[in-house]
Amino acid sequence: MEIKYTIQGLLVYTTMAAYLLAFVVSMLRKPKTGHALYLFGFAVAVVSYAYRWYDVRHVPLQNLFEVFLFLGMIYPVSLFCRRVLRVGGYVADMLIGVIVLFPAGFVFHAEPQYLPPALQSWLFTPHVAVYMLSYIVMAKAAVQAGCQLIGKTPKRGSDILPPEQGTYRMVLAGFPLLTLGLILGSYWGKLAWGDYWGWDPKELWSLVSWLVFLAYFHFRYMFGRKHPNMNSLLAILGMVAIIITLLWVNLSKLFPGLHSYA
Amino acid sequence: MKKFRRILMWLALVLIIMLTILSVYGAFIGAERAQGFFNSAPSVVYWVVLGVALIAGLVAFRRLIRVPGLLLTHAGCILILIGGMLGSEKGYRVSGNDTTRKGLMQIDEGQSTNRVFVRKKEGQGHDMKELPFFVKLNDFRIEYYEPGYLEIETGDGKVQRVVAEVGRRIDLGAEQGKAQIVKTFENWKMSMEDGKRTAYEDPHPGSNPALAVQITPPSGEATTHHVFSLHPGFGHDPNAPKMLYNRPVNRAISDYISELEVIDKDGKIVAKKDIEVNHPLRYGGYRFYQQDYDHQAGRYTILEAVSDTGIPVVFAGYWMLCVGVIWHMWLSHLFKNIRSKKQTDGN
Ligand code: HEM
Repeated sequence: MEIKYTIQGLLVYTTMAAYLLAFVVSMLRKPKTGHALYLFGFAVAVVSYAYRWYDVRHVPLQNLFEVFLFLGMIYPVSLFCRRVLRVGGYVADMLIGVIVLFPAGFVFHAEPQYLPPALQSWLFTPHVAVYMLSYIVMAKAAVQAGCQLIGKTPKRGSDILPPEQGTYRMVLAGFPLLTLGLILGSYWGKLAWGDYWGWDPKELWSLVSWLVFLAYFHFRYMFGRKHPNMNSLLAILGMVAIIITLLWVNLSKLFPGLHSYA
Repeated sequence: MKKFRRILMWLALVLIIMLTILSVYGAFIGAERAQGFFNSAPSVVYWVVLGVALIAGLVAFRRLIRVPGLLLTHAGCILILIGGMLGSEKGYRVSGNDTTRKGLMQIDEGQSTNRVFVRKKEGQGHDMKELPFFVKLNDFRIEYYEPGYLEIETGDGKVQRVVAEVGRRIDLGAEQGKAQIVKTFENWKMSMEDGKRTAYEDPHPGSNPALAVQITPPSGEATTHHVFSLHPGFGHDPNAPKMLYNRPVNRAISDYISELEVIDKDGKIVAKKDIEVNHPLRYGGYRFYQQDYDHQAGRYTILEAVSDTGIPVVFAGYWMLCVGVIWHMWLSHLFKNIRSKKQTDGN
């Protein structure tokens, strides 16, 4: 646990406070105020990210602190899902925002680092950014799957999809991003090390995440909505695999004697 | 047929779940053992079954051929599997391809070699192979984010600063003349030859970074002085201006660069590139990667030479898979929506 007494820290905490307040106010049935607070939080998140960019002088996606800072700008995804995809979970997104900013605010160090030679590639930004975007989308899919499991349904008369279909739509939106991230990473591996696939733990976990969603598609094709709970469970399992992939280097320290690779 | 399709779909699901579980296992055993595991004979059986199931799927399910996105994703997967097998060690052996798949080359500065050391199985040492051409290392260098600086106190008490690179000059004013960096040392040593002291770069382990600075007064002869980063003031000549070689100790590395030339059997230079991490040299079906270097004195580079005949097939599969999923999951829905919107607008 580390509290950051810096401008960067202040920006992160302000965003978190705004998101949390937005969530509480929305739960108290004041959607307009909630929306305004959410938008304010997003504006601060953008300033916070831009500040970091200015500070380190390269696209800040190098370490977990910067990656979580990026994930904190969830608002546009939220808006797109509600307006265009008609998937619910808008209010839950505010909480996702708080959750992803927590590690940036309290866990990971924020010392700026120089880009090591391996990361100096045009693939650095697209590979990581696409992955992070897919993670947000899949997190929303998992929330939808959770709503399905606890039997939540949208209000009558609203144009929001029921959670089972919401999950499917989110996975449809996220899977191409996940595929793109995997393939860009593999192509980068070829360019940097000579191998497009090195079988290292982080690579294998990213493959696991991808495969779980692949299983979701094939299972859902076979049984449709006959086993909705199983569909949802697979989507949630996919998100679990994603979290392990993202944090593997840190988690692997829990298994003594295991190599860890970034 | 219906029953066959059902069995096939179950098989697909089982195969996907199996690979998921095996990958989790692979993640726990570390990269090296995982690589061996996924290339072992039972794994090869798995890969073949997966490929056959995918092909059977394309034959059995009309939709997988008719729907372009689904065709691209499944056919793309087949290509990735084929390409992976072609490029694997077993693939090379089975197809009688005797080009060197992967190995390391150590080259000293100014030297050339065609020798590649190919690692045998764990703990069994190396095989030596020869490429049909030579690779020459002209220079290996490391670049840093924070360069070292030479600081000189000029006559009026001011301090001037330049980046510590050969050729950099400082104007010291009308009284003291000019200073110029003429040589840089990573490990400065002194030798006595014929009663004359000469500074030289010691290739042996050790670190004694220094600069040779030539000072030319307005009238008079140029003299050379040595400035040491670890021993400020050492050997300072009281007649010369005060100098300091300011260099951070643990500097972040920004680049490893090997200046390479490829020389054919007739001694002609046929390719040339300064390679860095992420920027390999391609020649004659091989790619040469910056892999490692002489950590002590920076006198040699270690390259990885790789040839992979499966690459074009794998990358074609990647393209098809990417275009396929984007087409099937995003664009086809988008087009459907636009079409249905047009229809409702038309009514
Ligand atoms: C192992 C044998 C496989 C068989 C027999 C098979 C068969 C099928 C079938 C019948 C569908 C449903 C198509 C439809 O919506 O009508 C499907 C969907 C799909 N398959 Fe496979 N598949 C296999 C493996 C794979 C693999 C390895 C991949 C990896 C890329 C893959 C990717 C997909 C994707 C992305 C979909 C679309 C899912 C959706 O739109 O809901 N399949 N597959």
